[in-house]
Amino acid sequence: AEGLAVCPKGCERCSEYNGCVKCKPKLFIFLERNDIRQMGVCLASCPVGYFGMRNPETNRCTQCKIENCEACFNRNFCTKCKDGFYSHRGRCHGTCPPGLTNTNGTMECI
Amino acid sequence: CYFLGFGATAQGQSTPSICSPSCHCDEDGLVDCSGKGLIAIPVGLSAFTYHLEVSMNNITELPADVFKNFPYLEELRLAGNDLAFIDPSALSGLNQLKILMLSNNQLKTVPSAALKDLHALQSLRMDANHITSVPEDSFKGLQQLRHLWLDDNNLTEVPIGSLRHQANLQALTLALNRISYIPDNAFANLTSLVVLHLHNNRIKEIGEHCFNGLVNLETLDLNFNNLMVFPRAIEALPKLKELGFHSNDIASIPEGAFHKNPLLRTIHLYDNPLSFVGATAFQNLTDLHSLMLRGASQMQDFPILTSTNNLESLTLTGTKISSIPAHLCEDLKLLRTLDLSYNQIEALPSFHGCVALQELNLQQNHVQQINRDTFHGLGSLRLLDLSRNGMVSIHRDAFLSLTALTNLDLSMNSLTGVPTTGLNSLSQLKLSGNLQMKNMLSAKSLPKLRSLSAPYAYQCCAFADCSPMMGHSEADDLKQPTDGEDVERISMIMRCTPSPGAFKPCEHLLGNWMIR
Repeated sequence: AEGLAVCPKGCERCSEYNGCVKCKPKLFIFLERNDIRQMGVCLASCPVGYFGMRNPETNRCTQCKIENCEACFNRNFCTKCKDGFYSHRGRCHGTCPPGLTNTNGTMECI
Repeated sequence: CYFLGFGATAQGQSTPSICSPSCHCDEDGLVDCSGKGLIAIPVGLSAFTYHLEVSMNNITELPADVFKNFPYLEELRLAGNDLAFIDPSALSGLNQLKILMLSNNQLKTVPSAALKDLHALQSLRMDANHITSVPEDSFKGLQQLRHLWLDDNNLTEVPIGSLRHQANLQALTLALNRISYIPDNAFANLTSLVVLHLHNNRIKEIGEHCFNGLVNLETLDLNFNNLMVFPRAIEALPKLKELGFHSNDIASIPEGAFHKNPLLRTIHLYDNPLSFVGATAFQNLTDLHSLMLRGASQMQDFPILTSTNNLESLTLTGTKISSIPAHLCEDLKLLRTLDLSYNQIEALPSFHGCVALQELNLQQNHVQQINRDTFHGLGSLRLLDLSRNGMVSIHRDAFLSLTALTNLDLSMNSLTGVPTTGLNSLSQLKLSGNLQMKNMLSAKSLPKLRSLSAPYAYQCCAFADCSPMMGHSEADDLKQPTDGEDVERISMIMRCTPSPGAFKPCEHLLGNWMIR
């Protein structure tokens, strides 16, 4: 039944089967997979592998689509590569691209 | 109770380390105190903490030196609290801090004094606060800053002064604010910037040189603003790959609009009241994969797409374009979907070079006839829509190559017949509205047909069991199988409309239904 009496933290409207369907302002809705169901939860920031897309109507956690990336700014720009990968302008590389080297022990190529 | 954490003695055994009752501390220095209704930073946490999660609590302020015992802290998450004040020395001692999350709090200005000594900081999130001003010295000490979120605040202008020293910044969002104008050289020193989001502001006008200096910018998002003139300032962006200015008030795209942006891959420009698009606007964009132009009602010339030869999807609808360049398919060999509906196209060239074409939509044009070679070579074509053209003839070999075609829409034309040779894969055929097409239809050469919309109900009798609606003999006449194949055809599950009924008997009386 839509609009359960008690919704999870940060949730404005929820349903028994899908968890939160509308979060309170400023929070991100993240769809957790639960078997074949998707359960909505409201987060202040999105989990690893996702980034928060803010829009007037809803703020949504969206999957990073960048290889070897742990946290991203948008679909195309990684802010934190997985361990062992070098970052360069929002991408993650096994080794620094030609002509670039990693700066004094950091994992960034310049 | 205290949770066991990490710590090492001289002999290497791990000693019970300190945590706090409101938190969960793991072996590696990650401390999670989120969502516990806390009103202050918990005390008694280990000095080796490197990741501190205090989001979703009720903390309203950060007092002086509250983090002085965390010399190894690299990530501090304070999102979703009620922070309205941060003491100038609240963050002192955090020399290793790389990520600071202050999103979704009550800040009205950037706490510049508190930030100034965070020399290792790379990511700073202040989105979803109530920030109206960004002091000029806000980010002065942050020379390692790479990513800055200021979206969903109350900024009315680009914080130019505070960004002036950010040569290492790579990603910036100022989206969801109240910015209405971007002055020239607003981002002049951001030479490392790769991503700039400005969507959902009130940007009505921008300086012709407002993007000068952004020599490495790859993504520019100006969607959902009030721009009335095409943003020519993008000429300063040689590395631009993704550009969005959909949902603005732009009426025309000038000639050579993107001639200084040769690396463009995607351009989002829908939901603009476009009336004119320069024919040379989209020339030489070798990385462009998709182009969608709807409703440029005054556009008369087909865009010149020479060297824009990696297009996979082209949508060009609602214009005054009356012809398609003969060499279109020589340029666009990778094209998979072509939507040229709702134009004024009169004649079709041969599409034979478009070997990858899967969907072709020419609905609602003025195409009167289809020649023998129009669709020659289109062995991958699955969907073809030629409806609403007033078409009168189709060459009998026109569909010879279309062996993969599954959906053919010829409805609302003036055809008297339809060639079926080559249509072995056809499963859906729409012929309704061709009022001159009165002959019985034969599905003999359409082995896979499953759905047919015919001009008249009686034509469906060839595919449906009409015996209940008429005398026994008449039904036999219509359904008399001439050979084995017809018996098999009729027995298949076949949806034919309009289905014959009491008021739509299978006899066709003089072609005038008004007599009924």
